[in-house]
Amino acid sequence: MLFKLAWRNLWRQKRRTLLTALALSLALFLSLFMRSMQEGSYENNIDNSARFSTGLLQLQNPEFSESQSIEDLLPGTTDFITPVTAPPLSPHITHHLPRIESFALASASERAKGVMVFGVEPERENSYSGIADKLIAGEFIDADDKQVLVGEGLARFLSIKLGDELVLYGQGYRGQTAAGLYKVKGIIHFPLAAMDNQLVYMPIKLAQTLYSTGEQVTSWVLHTDSLDMVAEVKSELVQAFGSKVNVRDWQQLSPEMAQQIAMDKAGGVFMMYLLYGVVGFGLFATILMMTLERQREFGVMLATGLLRRKLLGLIAIESGFIALIGVLIGLIITLPVVTYFHYHPIQLTGETAQLMLEMGWEPIIPMMLSFSLVFDQVKIVLGLMFICLLYPLWRAYRIDLVSALKGDSYG
Amino acid sequence: MSIEISQLSKTYNQESDFPVHAVKSLDLTIEQGEFVAVMGPSGSGKTTLLNMIGGIDTPTSGSVLIDSENICELDDKALIAFRRDHVGFIFQDYSLLPVLTALENVEFVMQLQGLSEKVCRARASELLTMVGLGEQMHKVPSKLSGGQQQRVAVARALAPRPRFVMADEPTANLDAKSTSELLDIMQSLNEKEGTTFIFSTHDQRVIKRAKRVIVFEDGKLTEDKQQ
Ligand SMILES: Nc1ncnc2c1ncn2[C@@H]1O[C@H](COP(=O)(O)OP(=O)(O)OP(=O)(O)O)[C@@H](O)[C@H]1O
Ligand SMILES: [Mg+2]
Repeated sequence: MLFKLAWRNLWRQKRRTLLTALALSLALFLSLFMRSMQEGSYENNIDNSARFSTGLLQLQNPEFSESQSIEDLLPGTTDFITPVTAPPLSPHITHHLPRIESFALASASERAKGVMVFGVEPERENSYSGIADKLIAGEFIDADDKQVLVGEGLARFLSIKLGDELVLYGQGYRGQTAAGLYKVKGIIHFPLAAMDNQLVYMPIKLAQTLYSTGEQVTSWVLHTDSLDMVAEVKSELVQAFGSKVNVRDWQQLSPEMAQQIAMDKAGGVFMMYLLYGVVGFGLFATILMMTLERQREFGVMLATGLLRRKLLGLIAIESGFIALIGVLIGLIITLPVVTYFHYHPIQLTGETAQLMLEMGWEPIIPMMLSFSLVFDQVKIVLGLMFICLLYPLWRAYRIDLVSALKGDSYG
Repeated sequence: MSIEISQLSKTYNQESDFPVHAVKSLDLTIEQGEFVAVMGPSGSGKTTLLNMIGGIDTPTSGSVLIDSENICELDDKALIAFRRDHVGFIFQDYSLLPVLTALENVEFVMQLQGLSEKVCRARASELLTMVGLGEQMHKVPSKLSGGQQQRVAVARALAPRPRFVMADEPTANLDAKSTSELLDIMQSLNEKEGTTFIFSTHDQRVIKRAKRVIVFEDGKLTEDKQQ
């Protein structure tokens, strides 16, 4: 009965009810659209940059993050990595790549330079990052090659071409000397200058020989089937490997990107609350008017036996209906739009697009289609309604029967 | 059912320099089945008295005993339940819920008592037929004339089988014909169902139909006659 009464009461002021609901819908549309775009672009960036270098998760020796030293290693054996390749984790981990990452001094003919040496499993690495596409000369390496790939900038600096040799010299495992002479099999163009100028890529076996690490690696790079799974997979990895392994996620591996995303997100969320704040005033005004203009009607209901809490219930249901209509209309207009842009991502143009293209990334912003983003909006609208209800409900609760009945604000 | 009022007083603005003594030390007894008109000039305290008897307003002092229960001691929640179960109200401006049909308006007050939908429906349509609105019960108030709306209000007041019905100037907004129709209905319900009616009025025609007339002046009872 209260629901029927509330529903009909809404339509006593059709225009006001609809306008208020539509304002909510609009706020929901703008917020959800913006948040879906934000989260979609974060996800895209995180995924791109994970594939480009760090992965979403890494297993490292607990000392390695501090020391970056070739002394602090993990086993590179299939035995060691079984927790990753066996259920229950295996369905969620799409890639696991062993790597050696260390430093060396590279020299050729007259010049020398400090470089980063990446020892990788060529085929698996390529299927993860598509690095072979960035070759500008020569060929990609095979697992058993004794040759290396170098960044274009580095090759220029050292004045070496395909087939030339370079000497790598550094410190190996347990203080052994790491030294070797390698032929250049290919030259790679990295879009990031820092990498282009100092990267040497080689098969992991060759790197293990160079640094005398045996079967050990500096890290295992992991990728999950979705970004949302990272936290869960991380905690399971921590359980599975215990304290002998440091499990680091992309936030720890790329703190700058994580911070940038956090800032950007905070900006978006602030805008969203601002928007809802403005719309909230409209909602508040409507609910307050609905209450104040019906003092006499409420008085009559109380006189004829409606309990005060039911009266408050009636007002809450009426507001709830407005919020519900707002959310429904909002979702009806937003979901198709977000879904469309999820499957047909917005194409970027101009400088950003150029930059992304150079990185080898598609210049697009896919929209995120996520239940939790939608649910967030619904929660915000409900929260907003709750706040807007407090004062009107208090006013209704405090209605003085005698003066309410005397008043003539009926109907 | 009896209403026993003793030493009942109501003072508005008690704390201020100009307190208004709306009702002054009133003693009055009303018995089951009476049909009482309260008359008096404007501002004499009729509404205030009816509000205190109906459990809407609380007196400054004195007591209102309904079947020996002092309703002045009930808290807000108990008073609401008391009004719901024992008092029917008829207001000068009809005061029907505008979004409900005549039938739903009558049903609503019974549903507040927790009666089943079926029982509510049966009694509501019976009452509406009794007040001559058998054909109009699915109309909303705005589609009914003032007289018809007030008849719906009478049906609503009677629906929960209250011990008595309070009507504060029920005919003030009605023309002569509607007034006499309404009084016919109230009178026949008073006789048929034995419901006590207490109503205030300025209207001589209404006063003529009352069985007992109480005259009020300046918060005091000046005349109490059976006719
Ligand atoms: N809430 C209030 N605050 C202050 N004074 C009040 C209040 N309600 C009523 N009064 C005063 O109490 C006195 C009695 O008022 P009441 O409404 O009972 O008169 P009434 O006989 O019903 O008059 P009317 O025929 O005009 O309806 C009046 O002097 C009125 O001004
Ligand atoms: Mg009055």
